Amino acid sequence: MIDKEQDTKIQQDISHSEFEFVQRDEKIFDKKFETKPVGYFKDAMTRFAKNRANVVATIILFTLITSSILVPVLTTKNFTSQEPAVAALPPRVPIVEHFGFVDGTRSYSDRTVDLETIDEDGLGIPAGFDREFVAEGSLTNTTSVCTSRTSDSCVGGQNIIGLRGQSTQTSVVSDESFDFVRDDQPVIEFDIENILIDGTLLNVELNIGDDTDEDWRQFASFDEEGVVSFEVFEALDELDLDEDIDEFSSPIQFEIVAEIPRVNIALNSVSIYQNGEEEPFYSASGFDLAQYQLSAPASTGNFRRANGEQIVASFDYDVYAEAMGVRDPGAYSARDTYQLLEENQDICSLDGVDIDFDNVDYDDAQQLIGMEFSDTCPINNIYDVSSPIERDGETYFNFRLELNYAQYMGYDDIPYFLFGTTRSGHDLFALTWLALRTSLLVGLLVGTINITIGIIYGSISGYYGGKVDIGMERFTEVISRIPWLLTLALATAWLGASLWSLVIVLTLSGWVSVSSTTRTQFYRYKGREYVLASRTLGAKDSRLIFRHILPNGIGTIITASILMIPQVIFAESTISFLGFGIGHGQTFNIFGFELSGVSIGVLLADGRSELVYNPHLTIAPAIIVSILMITFNMFGNALRDAFNPTLRGSE
Amino acid sequence: MAKYILVRTLWVFIILFVILSMTFVLLNLAPQYPPADEDQREIWYAQQVRDGFMSRRVVTDPDEMEAIRNEEAGLHDNAFVVDDDDRLEVFEPVPVGQSYRNWITNVLTEFNWGTSTRVRVNVDAFSILANRIPVTAQLNLIALAFYIPTGFGIGILAALKKNSLVDNLIQIFIMVFLSLPLFVVMTFFLFIFGYQLGWLDTAFPAATVRGTTRYLAFILPVLGLSLNTVAGLTRLTRAELTEVLTSDFLLLARTKGLTRPQSVVRHAMRNSMVPLVPFIIFSFVGLLSGSVVIEQIYGIPGTGRVLLDAMTPNNYDHNLVLVTLAFYTVIGLFAILIVDLTYGLVDPRIRMGAKK
Repeated sequence: MIDKEQDTKIQQDISHSEFEFVQRDEKIFDKKFETKPVGYFKDAMTRFAKNRANVVATIILFTLITSSILVPVLTTKNFTSQEPAVAALPPRVPIVEHFGFVDGTRSYSDRTVDLETIDEDGLGIPAGFDREFVAEGSLTNTTSVCTSRTSDSCVGGQNIIGLRGQSTQTSVVSDESFDFVRDDQPVIEFDIENILIDGTLLNVELNIGDDTDEDWRQFASFDEEGVVSFEVFEALDELDLDEDIDEFSSPIQFEIVAEIPRVNIALNSVSIYQNGEEEPFYSASGFDLAQYQLSAPASTGNFRRANGEQIVASFDYDVYAEAMGVRDPGAYSARDTYQLLEENQDICSLDGVDIDFDNVDYDDAQQLIGMEFSDTCPINNIYDVSSPIERDGETYFNFRLELNYAQYMGYDDIPYFLFGTTRSGHDLFALTWLALRTSLLVGLLVGTINITIGIIYGSISGYYGGKVDIGMERFTEVISRIPWLLTLALATAWLGASLWSLVIVLTLSGWVSVSSTTRTQFYRYKGREYVLASRTLGAKDSRLIFRHILPNGIGTIITASILMIPQVIFAESTISFLGFGIGHGQTFNIFGFELSGVSIGVLLADGRSELVYNPHLTIAPAIIVSILMITFNMFGNALRDAFNPTLRGSE
Repeated sequence: MAKYILVRTLWVFIILFVILSMTFVLLNLAPQYPPADEDQREIWYAQQVRDGFMSRRVVTDPDEMEAIRNEEAGLHDNAFVVDDDDRLEVFEPVPVGQSYRNWITNVLTEFNWGTSTRVRVNVDAFSILANRIPVTAQLNLIALAFYIPTGFGIGILAALKKNSLVDNLIQIFIMVFLSLPLFVVMTFFLFIFGYQLGWLDTAFPAATVRGTTRYLAFILPVLGLSLNTVAGLTRLTRAELTEVLTSDFLLLARTKGLTRPQSVVRHAMRNSMVPLVPFIIFSFVGLLSGSVVIEQIYGIPGTGRVLLDAMTPNNYDHNLVLVTLAFYTVIGLFAILIVDLTYGLVDPRIRMGAKK
């Protein structure tokens, strides 16, 4: 304080003459800023780049978009043909495959082994598989309990004859007839595992009549567990028949008779012995015994199997080697064979073969039989030829041959399908990008329509205000209250499931958010001085709207509208997934872009029913669309935040 | 206030009336798919005549019969002819205006929405829908009961631990589940918990199944349905609470001696609730339309399923579609009405419709 007082005193003492101008001869300019000026966009860019996650998301997003444009162009694949031979292959990725992961094998577990395939190691594989393609060391066999009456892989166990409902009697008959001859001294033996309830009988009956005049007689009755038997003709004699029978043919029928319902008898085997031999003449147990049929009405009882054992195998199977290896396509027409050979003349060593490929001649063709070609040739070998048919002066015949399938399909070696293949045998990797392109184009198309309508509508509503605004606002309120399900239902009723019904659903109320953003911007700018100035100069409404107000608000409007594209993709894939949008077999031409009828939603709808055996059909497209949606949203949010700093912190 | 409520309610009814009328007219003019079975079709046409949507006339004039048989009589596309050799029974749709009047009369006086033509032939459309409502209602109410506390809880946690690891993880959760379409989430859940781990059923059990199995069956659809909304609620709660936590009155509350938990519970929470109420009511409408997708994937016999069944292309069931859409529209509009009213009631700063 004291200093200041002194200062003022000192200043008061200075005389006028002591003052002089500092810059008398110089002009005084505004001083330049020390810092560099930052423009609107540069400022936004700085803010955008500050968030590392958003930058990464943006890079991923643009990689996805680029891939969706490039991959379908680079892979000129035909997605309309069917290739059942390579259908539903699992993913196979180079390098990663060496770690036993996505290596193109498919794991099977607990598949019933075909007993005939069991080798010297005691290991077997299920029917329909080739041991050559089972991954080494992955095959394990275990036994498990089975109750199947139809699979002969299920061995041993008991067959149970049981009563149902209130019935106290039911019977089972063998699937074949036996000749009983007195001189053979036939003995029928039953191995009964258990009869749990006392008073339950197992009666054995044989038909001593013939097929047309059946005469079933009870030969024996057992009531104890264990191995029981009877001599057929001794039992026959005890029946005291009028005539002597030395020979008859009959199936074996046995019935359960019980005092109370719901009783079971478990049988191990039924055997016939002859001439006192040790080895049975006939024996049925397990699966054989299970072929016996219930001869009484099904309501009285049942004949079922228990405690059978089957061998089940778990293994990894190289489906690529199987699909792409040597395959026999059945008959292959001579013309196609010649064409194949002609196209691959250099690769397939055709030394010593003198064939005019343009002229199909049967005698000429004989020299091809038995030929083996190199591994790089589409044809592995030709082993036979069918007899020729003459028609309209042309000769037709077929070769029997084996194809090197990978080469046949145009690959040098077994190919890598990164995402596997679809049910129709298409490369899912290429198809996913194609689908993504469709989804993105639909998103762009619908986004453009919505933004255009929204901007025009919002401009008019916001610029004119007052009664016009109120009326237009009421209209948007009604439009935006219509549930999308209702629009979808109406569009489906009128147009069926198609791209256009999809576009209608997505545009009917999709523009409302853009229009409200635009309207807000107009309210913000329409009262500004420069607008007033322009109006005073006589500018028309259209000039004010499109030259003065809109350009000022357009940045905010567009950045707010960017998020519409992922929303559209979201909705599009949902509707297509439900089966009401795009679908297989449709193609569209929009502004010169050929859209296939495959979008991400369609791919996922295809995969839904195969989630158990072919999860790759779902996983790959789902992950791609997830990444797209997440990065697109992050990009949109980041862009909006960058251009509108006041929004920061709310996200 | 009373005037405001009255105006809003009236407005909702006007919108409802406009939407349903429009739907009826547009559906009425669209191609019809009467029952495929011949006998059922005759019953259905007789029903249409009774409900006043078609007229029946008997043709005995040989020339006209000949013309109709040769399709030269210029009959309406949706006309139907029963040929009894010596006479023809011709069913023709009445003009749209007239059938619209009849439709309104039927709905308002008898609550008669017509009969189904394809899904369950000649069964009253409303009763088909009514049978399906309980499952959908159950699913949505459980989802509601699950997502509100979850969304709040996670949102509050994120706001209190702002910029920590927990907050960042929650942010990722929000980003992921807000971005992913419902059907992708549901498919992933089904794949992981249903098929790979085998913990839960891969499809909704039949109506006869009771007990634990039935309750467990709700886990997957409820998760699939609500995680998107949970993420939305979490984001909103976090944003609101963060804003309130930095406000001056909360600082004052701390200065006057409240502990942090006390100040959060008593001052911050209550103030951040205001915008959440409308969100929750709106989200119920979102859940309802989301459940259409979930019901389809998980095989739940609800209203969404019946709508999609009735909408099958080339197998369209007009009456059933109409009544189901009416159901969805009514719920959607009344949710909006409730939101409008609570805006006015909950937050004194907003006085919609008040005189300036």
